[in-house]
Amino acid sequence: MTTLRDVAIVGYTQLPVVARDEHRTAIEMLYPVVCEALGQVGVDRDGIDYQVSASTDYMDGRPFGFVQALDVMGSWPPRQDLHLEMDGSFAAYYAWLKIQTGEVDTAIVCGHGKTSEGSPEHVFNLQLDPFYQAPLGLGPITTAALQASAYLARTGIGDDDLAAIVARNRAAGASNPDNQVREQTSVEALQQSPWAARPLRRSYLPPVGESATCLVLAAEEKAGDLCDHPVWIQGVDHRSELQTLGARDLTRAAGAKLAAQNAYAMAGIAGPRDVRFAELLATTPVEELIVCDALGIDPARSDVVVNPSGGPLCAHPIMSTGLVRLGEVFRQLSGHAAERTVDGATRAIAHGAQGHCLQQNVVWVLGTDRRAA
Amino acid sequence: MSQPPVDPVKYIETTVRLPYHYVAGDHRARYLRALKDRKILGSKCSKTGKVFVPPINNSAESMAPCDELVEVADRGVVTTFCIVNIPVVGRDVELPYVAASVALDGADISIFALVQECKADEARMGMRVEAVWKPDGEREGSHEDISHFRPTGEPDAAPETYLNRL
Repeated sequence: MTTLRDVAIVGYTQLPVVARDEHRTAIEMLYPVVCEALGQVGVDRDGIDYQVSASTDYMDGRPFGFVQALDVMGSWPPRQDLHLEMDGSFAAYYAWLKIQTGEVDTAIVCGHGKTSEGSPEHVFNLQLDPFYQAPLGLGPITTAALQASAYLARTGIGDDDLAAIVARNRAAGASNPDNQVREQTSVEALQQSPWAARPLRRSYLPPVGESATCLVLAAEEKAGDLCDHPVWIQGVDHRSELQTLGARDLTRAAGAKLAAQNAYAMAGIAGPRDVRFAELLATTPVEELIVCDALGIDPARSDVVVNPSGGPLCAHPIMSTGLVRLGEVFRQLSGHAAERTVDGATRAIAHGAQGHCLQQNVVWVLGTDRRAA
Repeated sequence: MSQPPVDPVKYIETTVRLPYHYVAGDHRARYLRALKDRKILGSKCSKTGKVFVPPINNSAESMAPCDELVEVADRGVVTTFCIVNIPVVGRDVELPYVAASVALDGADISIFALVQECKADEARMGMRVEAVWKPDGEREGSHEDISHFRPTGEPDAAPETYLNRL
């Protein structure tokens, strides 16, 4: 562990999440975000050694669609590039890993994709087994509802509890200008919403939207050169679980739990009592409870603020949603979170996830200080 | 269970149908609309002055924005070509045919073009060609508004005028 290089987030930009941008293609949305991120850290493209992007071709509707992003990421003269068919939070992990090799000191990590051009619900159906799961019509809403049902049965919580979680996220998210949904709402109003797939109401599901995101990472002393308030990566790990839904306990996130334990160990912290807030990629109130449980966060106690940004229940730009969590932690800990600032925060957790029912998870511990050696 | 199954189901058929509604983007939307009026638009790099056709938002090379739209000619020069003898997916063209890169006058990069009204063995680099537009009333604001390119009969262009516009 002591041989790890210290790496920090030094910049972050995103477009406000919208349901549909009528004027720009996915890469036309990404271009100003990359330019702004480079401007934020005060370098031109030559100041960046490496780039990783996150998108999914099925959502783009183009095989190898990700290569379009090369034209807006500063790929000339040629430089090393990596693409992940995963959320940007995982892309950031691979950028961090590349920096660990010592080959590069700086990297940009981009998330892009237009959810409005295709049909994400169909795409995520095709992710499932083609013999019986996909033909039965399972999609992310129905698999999340199967998970929610099992969780409610195991824990005995009910609809009031789920509505309260959504209401809390919506209240927090009202002051975040990048959110697609910025209206507070009451538990009662949320419970007026019809069932999407019982026990999940439509109001318990995230607003799927589109954005473009760019995170800048830098190692060691480079971080201080590029940013007055670098936010250091103190610990990180990611874990993937089985694809077969029936082979997992859907009410628990074993992968998130193991990733969290490893990230805490790398950060040299005992657990979430050493952090002030957590940004979680939870797309339903039940997922939020499952992730909290895996990370050791007790939602009944208020010592860790969960999703002060409003979380994915206020904006879910697929492929960027996890990168937004890292960006939000950066904004908070570098003093750029405006009204939604969590007072006194010097360390936080960012969680990313992908796949049905939290199949893949990545957990980050980030702080204003370097990782304890 | 020890016996092999009688008439086993060996395959399943899955038809994947995923519709998409692509946003053209403001630059490309204007470009497509201009084709209806027999005009070809490019965009100019604010840093290098290079003109890209079809218009792009930013230069991939310089990273600078290309906000200004400019009209380029509907004629230009063949910068490279090949003679195609194999059928191509999605095209119904008599074989062999000439597929060419054409640098339009006023543009710094080439577009892909089908050259007809020209014997395949007469195609050459430097040959001057012009767009043959679909008749008025039949153009819809798509790439198919240009039926094809054909030789103009002008003298060939000198290599130094097009070799950096491949």
